[in-house]
Amino acid sequence: MSNLEYLLKRKQRIAAWSDRWQAEAARFADSHRDLLPKRITNAQLYGLGNVVRSARRYADIERFIGNQVEKAKRAGRLDVQGYWNDLKDVLGKLRGEAQALLKTLCPAGAGSQDNLDELHRELIRLYVQHLIAHSLYWTPDQEDSGRRER
Amino acid sequence: MSEQSVQEVALRVALERAIARKSDEYDRRAREYADRLTSTKLDKTQVRGLETLASTTDKVSDITDWLKLRVGRDSKREGWAKDGVGRDLVTELEGLRRDARKIVDELRVGEGIALAYPVDPDLERQVHLRLCREFLKHLAAHFEYLKAEQER
Repeated sequence: MSNLEYLLKRKQRIAAWSDRWQAEAARFADSHRDLLPKRITNAQLYGLGNVVRSARRYADIERFIGNQVEKAKRAGRLDVQGYWNDLKDVLGKLRGEAQALLKTLCPAGAGSQDNLDELHRELIRLYVQHLIAHSLYWTPDQEDSGRRER
Repeated sequence: MSEQSVQEVALRVALERAIARKSDEYDRRAREYADRLTSTKLDKTQVRGLETLASTTDKVSDITDWLKLRVGRDSKREGWAKDGVGRDLVTELEGLRRDARKIVDELRVGEGIALAYPVDPDLERQVHLRLCREFLKHLAAHFEYLKAEQER
């Protein structure tokens, strides 16, 4: 397979994966709906989005989530801690997805470790894009929910 | 030209015809959305932005994520969130997947093309993306026209 052919195939497979996993990310957001937007704020979600977009290593993403877990622990918010731990699990498991995808692209050695790391981060970026969009989509804004509570 | 290549060309031609037919069907519905959007504070740039995104992305989810974010951020409910127009549009675009499935299924069995070779498993998704582009193309054109009429 030529390099161009490989890149095109990779792009197409990732696009198909992203469209398939949008529903999965939406389910995650829906199952934690009660925490949005007060316990898990839009600012935290945007922060996560910035980190996954700029991260050069998976460890950077893990560190960000670890910090959120620590903050929630200090505040005694078990539910928020649970959210970040659940997300960490999901994002960690996407490595398996990256591995499977890579196997379909380069069946021989399934690519290098660098290729795998890069693909893992790319899948995380797409998953988080879906997660943020769906979290904001169904969440009443602060002002609105405040008005209703009054 | 090999038999497989001939079949692939025939499939492409049939596919283009089916998409064009659907596109014509979408025109009226797209106009209704355009009409609803003219009662919001959205301007041409924002609607054109959506059309541009649809024509450049390779993912349907990029289009719906874009809309979901804008609906979510519209706290004053004057733009994409006004009267549920953005939500309805997300549902509409997601629903085009059914049309895409039907087109691909019909191509597999009908149109006189007995496919002896496996079709791309990603075809349905790609047709879905094409249909979203067609729908939004009509919507953006109607919106610009209606907006210009409104401003006259």
